[in-house]
Amino acid sequence: MYQYSNFDQRFIDERVEQFRSQTERYLAGELTDDQFQQLRLRNGLYIQRLAPMLRIAVPYGILSATQLRALARICRDYDKGYGHLSTRQNVQINWPELIDVPDILADLAKVQMHAIQTSGSCIRNITTDQFAGVADDELIDPRPWCEVMRQWSTFHPEFDWLPRKFKIAVNGAESDRAATHVHDIGIHIRPGPSGEPLFDFLVGGGLGRTPAIGARIRDGLPEHHLLTYLEAILRVYNRYGRRDNKYKARIKILVRAMTPEGFREKVDAEWERVKDSPSTLPQAELDRIKACFEPHPYASLEDETDLLAAARLANPAFNNWLSNNVAPHKRPGYAIVTLSTKPTGVPPGDVTDIQMEAVADWSERFGFGEVRISHEQNFILPDVRQRDLETLFRLADEQGLAQANVGLLTNVICCPGGDYCSLANAKSIPVAEAIQSRFDDYDYLHDLGPLDLNISGCMNACGHHHVGHIGILGVDKRGAEFYQVSLGGNQALDASLGKIVGPSFSRAEVPDVIEKILDVYLKSRFEGEEFLHCYRRIGIEPFREQVYADAG
Amino acid sequence: MPTLVRDLRIAEDDWRLVDEGPAAPGLIAPLDAWRENPDGAGVWLRSDTEVDAVAEEVLAAPVIAIEFPAFADGRGLSMGALLRSRHGYQGELRAFGEVVPDLTEYMHRCGFNAFVMASDRDAEAAIASIGRMSDHYQASVREPVPPFRRSTA
Ligand code: SF4
Repeated sequence: MYQYSNFDQRFIDERVEQFRSQTERYLAGELTDDQFQQLRLRNGLYIQRLAPMLRIAVPYGILSATQLRALARICRDYDKGYGHLSTRQNVQINWPELIDVPDILADLAKVQMHAIQTSGSCIRNITTDQFAGVADDELIDPRPWCEVMRQWSTFHPEFDWLPRKFKIAVNGAESDRAATHVHDIGIHIRPGPSGEPLFDFLVGGGLGRTPAIGARIRDGLPEHHLLTYLEAILRVYNRYGRRDNKYKARIKILVRAMTPEGFREKVDAEWERVKDSPSTLPQAELDRIKACFEPHPYASLEDETDLLAAARLANPAFNNWLSNNVAPHKRPGYAIVTLSTKPTGVPPGDVTDIQMEAVADWSERFGFGEVRISHEQNFILPDVRQRDLETLFRLADEQGLAQANVGLLTNVICCPGGDYCSLANAKSIPVAEAIQSRFDDYDYLHDLGPLDLNISGCMNACGHHHVGHIGILGVDKRGAEFYQVSLGGNQALDASLGKIVGPSFSRAEVPDVIEKILDVYLKSRFEGEEFLHCYRRIGIEPFREQVYADAG
Repeated sequence: MPTLVRDLRIAEDDWRLVDEGPAAPGLIAPLDAWRENPDGAGVWLRSDTEVDAVAEEVLAAPVIAIEFPAFADGRGLSMGALLRSRHGYQGELRAFGEVVPDLTEYMHRCGFNAFVMASDRDAEAAIASIGRMSDHYQASVREPVPPFRRSTA
C-alpha cells in the first residue's frame, strides 16, 4: 500500500496544527458557529443529534494492521469502544469531545491517517473496488490512480469550495464493485491495445433526491492526462453548478440541464486549454506511486481444491461461509475473505475495538498485514491462503464476524439514520434489525440467492437505497416515521435505479411487506433465476398487487 | 470597520467600491459602469461573470475586485486563477464580500493579493493562515509547478 513520503507526513502534521488553531479560535469565540462549521466539516467533524461525529478517511478503503490498531485505540479512548464502517469505506466515531479532536487527529497522523475532506462541499474520499489488486477479474489495478487523485484533490486551491459534495469512484475490473454509475464521476480503467491503461469517464450519476445514472463523456483517456481532464470537469462544475438550492447543486443536475453532450463540449473546450500543462503526470511520478502497489511476495501455491471440498462436507457452516464470503484471488492457493459486520442485532457496520484488533492480528497472521473496508460496510482480508481458511473461519466466528450472509438479503446496507443523524426522517437501524431477525434461516436466505437490501433514513441516500434490489427509504408522513419501498435497483455494471412500489408503510409493517415481495419472487421465478432478473422479467405489477392485496 | 490586507500586510485602502457608475479613478465600479469610463478605475466582477469572455478588456484595470457573495462559494477562486494564469493579469486582484480567514489561504493560492476583511482581528487571522501549510500537492498560481515536477520532491 501507499507509504507516506516526507512531503506527505509534513503536510499532514501541519494540517493537524492548522486545525488545532482553528478549534482554539472557535473555542475562544473568534470564529462564529457558521464559520467554524465549514472548517470542521473539511476535517470530517459533524455536530450530530447526540454528539459530535468524526469521520476518519480510509483512502479507497485500504488500511494496514497498524492503522486498524490505532483506530481501535481511538475508539477505546475517545468513543464508547466501537466505530462504524461507512458506505464510503471510511470509519466514523460517534462521541468525541470537540476539544479532543486535534489530539485524535495527531494520533492519526502518526499512522499516516487523517480526516481531511470526509465531509463538506469538496472532493470526498475516492472509493474503489474492495478487491482492488487481488480480484481474479481485474483488468488494471486501480489503486495507484486512486492515490494520484487523493493527492491531487487534497486541499485543491480551486476545488475545495464546490456547490456540493463530490464523489469519485474508480473500477478496474470486469464486474463493477465500486458502483461507478451512481457517482459524480465514475472512472473505468481498462487496458488499451498495448496494455496501457485507458480511462473512461461517467459523469453526473448519483443517488439522493434525484437519482441518476452517470453519462459517458469520454472514452480512452491516456493516463498522463488524468489530472488535467479532472481539472476541466471540476472547473466547469465549480463555475456553473447551482448554488441557490442545495438539492439542485450536485453535478448530475448541471449535466442534465446542459445535456450530457453540452456538458462534454464545455469540458472538452476547457480541457483543450489545460491539456499538457504542468499538472500532466510525468512517468517518474506514476512509477513512484505504482511502486507502492507492487504485488506482495506471494508464495507459489496450488489451489486447495480437495482440502476445501472435504472441509465443506464435514462442516456445513464453513461450507455456507465459503460459498458466500470467500471470493477468488488472482493467485492460485489464495482467497479473498469478507468478514461480515452484520450479524442480527448489531447495527450494520458497527465494530468494537476488540474486533478491530482481532482483524488486525488476522491480517498479519493470514496475509500481508492489509485490511480493506467495503462500501457494503464489511472488512476484507485480501490475501488469505486457502489452507488457512478453516482456521480463520473459526476465529472469525468466535468474534461474531463470520456471518455467512455476504450478497444475501441480511447483508443489509444501512445508514446511521434517526438514531444518530440529525437529517433523518426516520430510523433505519431498527428496520435492518427487524429484517435480519425475520429472515434468519440460512437455507431460506440461500435459496433466495443474491439480494441487496439497502436502507436510508432520508433522501440523502447514504444507505444507497436506490440501487438496492430492494430499497427502503425513511419518509416523514405528518410527523410520523414511514418507509417507502422500491424494487429493481442495482449497482453492478448494468446499473439501474429502483422503482417505488406505492404508498409508504409503518415500521411495523416493513418485515411483512418484504416477506410478501419475496413470496412473489419465489412463486414467479424460473429455476435459477435471481431476484433482479425475475423482477426485470415480470415487472413491478405482481409485487404491487401482492403487497397492497388486503389493504382495503 | 473593514480592514484591507494587501500583499500579506494590513494596508490603507485607497479604493472605494461603488455600486453604480460613473466610474472614476480611485473607484471600483461594476463592469457595465467601468466599461463606460475605464480610465484609472477598478472593476468589480460578480461571481457569475464569464472570465474568459471579459478577460481581454479588464486586463488593463489597476484593480479587479471579485465578489464572494457567500462564505464557501468557490466560484471566485476559479475566476481569480484563470485571470492570473490563463490571461496573465498583473494588477491587484482583490477579494471582497464574504471573505473569512482560512478561506484567504485558498484565495491566495488562486492569485488574489488583496482581501477586504471584516475586522482587524480577521485581517490578522487571514495573514496568519497564509503559509501555515508549507507546501501543497497541486500546481497553483503561486506555485505553478506541482511537487512531482520539482527536482527536490
Ligand atoms: S441517509 Fe439521511 S438519515 Fe441516513 S445518514 Fe444520510 S443524511 Fe442521515
